[in-house]
Amino acid sequence: MFDRLNKILVPIAGKLNNNRYLQVLRDAFMLAFPLTIFGSVAVVLANLPFLEKIMSDSALGTLQSALGPASQATISIMTVFVVFGIGYYLSRSYDVEAVFGGVIALASFLILTPFILTPEGAEPVTDVIPLDRLGAKGMFLGMITGFFAGEIYRFFVQKKWTIKMPASVPPAVAKSFAALIPAVFTLSIFLIVNIGVTQGLNTNLHDLIFNAVQAPLVNLGSGIIPTVIAVFFVQLLWFFGLHGQIIVNSIMDPIWNTLMVENLTSYTETGEVPNIISKQFMEIYTVGMGGSGMTLAVVIAILLFMKSKQMKQVGKLSLGPGLFNVNEPIIFGLPVVMNPVIVIPWILAPMIVTLVTYFAMSTGIVPPPTGVAVPWTVPVFINGILATNSLAGGVLQLVNMGIVLIIWMPFLQVMDRMNVKKERQTENTETKAQTDHSSKEQAL
Amino acid sequence: MKKILLACSSGMSTSLLVTKMSEHAKSIGDEAEIWAVGQDRAKKEMENADVVLIGPQMSFLKKELQGEGEKYGVPVDVIDTVAYGMADGKKAYEQALNLMGEQ
Repeated sequence: MFDRLNKILVPIAGKLNNNRYLQVLRDAFMLAFPLTIFGSVAVVLANLPFLEKIMSDSALGTLQSALGPASQATISIMTVFVVFGIGYYLSRSYDVEAVFGGVIALASFLILTPFILTPEGAEPVTDVIPLDRLGAKGMFLGMITGFFAGEIYRFFVQKKWTIKMPASVPPAVAKSFAALIPAVFTLSIFLIVNIGVTQGLNTNLHDLIFNAVQAPLVNLGSGIIPTVIAVFFVQLLWFFGLHGQIIVNSIMDPIWNTLMVENLTSYTETGEVPNIISKQFMEIYTVGMGGSGMTLAVVIAILLFMKSKQMKQVGKLSLGPGLFNVNEPIIFGLPVVMNPVIVIPWILAPMIVTLVTYFAMSTGIVPPPTGVAVPWTVPVFINGILATNSLAGGVLQLVNMGIVLIIWMPFLQVMDRMNVKKERQTENTETKAQTDHSSKEQAL
Repeated sequence: MKKILLACSSGMSTSLLVTKMSEHAKSIGDEAEIWAVGQDRAKKEMENADVVLIGPQMSFLKKELQGEGEKYGVPVDVIDTVAYGMADGKKAYEQALNLMGEQ
C-alpha cells in the first residue's frame, strides 16, 4: 500500500515543486526575507519587555518612533517586494530581461492602487499611497498583478515587439529600448483595466480583490481545521521521504504571509495581534521544535531511554542538527520514512501539538506570534520567546515537546525492542547498524 | 580531483554529509571537492561537477536534474536513504564513485 501511495505522491510533489508559478512565488517571498528580518530585529528591540521599566513613557515613545521606519519600510510594505520579485523571477524563468519584468510588475500594481487616503471622519487626502495597500491588504492583488504583468510583458518580448538598436549603442541603452514597447503595452492594459473598474464600477481593484478573493481565502486559512490539515499533509509527505514543507508551503505561504504582515502591522501600531495562525505559528510551533515532526523530543527520548545501538547512534547524530531544527538524520536514519511502526506518532503528535498550541493562544494563556520573522534555524525555546515576545511562548514549546515525547514513547519502545533483538541475532554478521538498515531498505 | 555536488532543499541538511564524505575521501587519500547547494542552484552548478547526488527528500527532482545532467554528461542520482540518514560518508562517497564509473 505504501508503495502505491508513494508512486502517486512523488509525481505530484515533483509537479508542485517544479510548477513555474509556485517556484516564482517561493522565490519572490524569499526576496523579501532579508528585509523582513531587518524589520523584525527593530520591532524586537523596540518592544523588549524590560524597556517599560527602565524608560519613561516619552523616552520609550521616542525610541519606538525612531525605530519605526525599519519595519515600515520592510515588512509593512512587503507586497512591493513580492510584486517586484514575481515580475522579476517570472521573466527570468522565460529568459527575458528580468529586471524590467520586475519594475513593470511594480508599476502595474501601483497603477491599480488608489493614491488617496480617507481617514475616519475626515476629508480624503490625495496624492498619497496608503501604506496598508502596499502591505497585508494589497498582498493578493499584488501577487495576481505580478503574475499577469510578467506574463504580458514576456509575451510581447517573445513576440519580438521590440525596438532593436544598432550594435554600436551601449547595451544598457539598447536593453531599455528593447523593453520600451512591451512596457508601454503592459502598463496600458493595466491602465485601461483600472479606468474600467474605477469609472465603470465606481470602486478599485484593491477593494475588489480584497473582498472577493483575499478576505475569504485568508479567513479560511487562518482557521484551526485547515491548519491541522496542512500539518497532516506535511507529515504524510515526509513519511514518504518527500520534503513536506516545500510542497505544502508553496500553496499556503500567500495566506500565512498575509496573516503575518497583518499581525506585525497591528502589533507595531497597537500592541494587539489579530491572528493566531500565521507564518510564524507554522515555523515556530510546528518546525521550530527540532524540525518537521517536532523530533527534538524524540531525539531526547532515544538518548535517554533507548537501548538499541542503532537508535543510540541516530540519536547522537541527530542532536546537533536537531537543536537548529534540521532533522533529516532522524527522518532517514531512524528511519521515519516508510516505517510503519512509528507512522502513528509521526503524524498524530504534530496535529495534537498544533491543537494544543492553538488553544493555549486562543484562550490567552500564551500570546500568539507577533509576526516578527525569526529564522527557522533558531533553536527551540529561544525562537518561541522571540516570536511571541514573551517567556510563555518558549515555555509552551517545552510543554509541546513533553506531549510529543509521551505520544512517541510506547512506539519507540516497540521499535527499540525489535532493534535490540535484531542486533543480537546479527551479532556475527557485518556491523549491526548496516544489517538493521538493509532490511528496512528492502521495505522501501 | 573528483568533484561531487550534493543538492537538497536549502543545502543545509546535506552539509553534514559533505563533511563526512570529505573526511572519508581524505582518509583514503583521494583528492575530492564536495559541496552542497539548495535545489534552485543545483542546475547552475551542475556543469562544475563530475557527479550530482540529491537528498532523498528531494527525490522528485531526480528526473528533471537527470535531464539537465545529460547535457554535461554528469550522472545524477538520489543519495542512498540509509547512508544519508546515518550521515555515512563512506557509503555516500562510494555511491558517488560508482556513478562516476558508470559514466
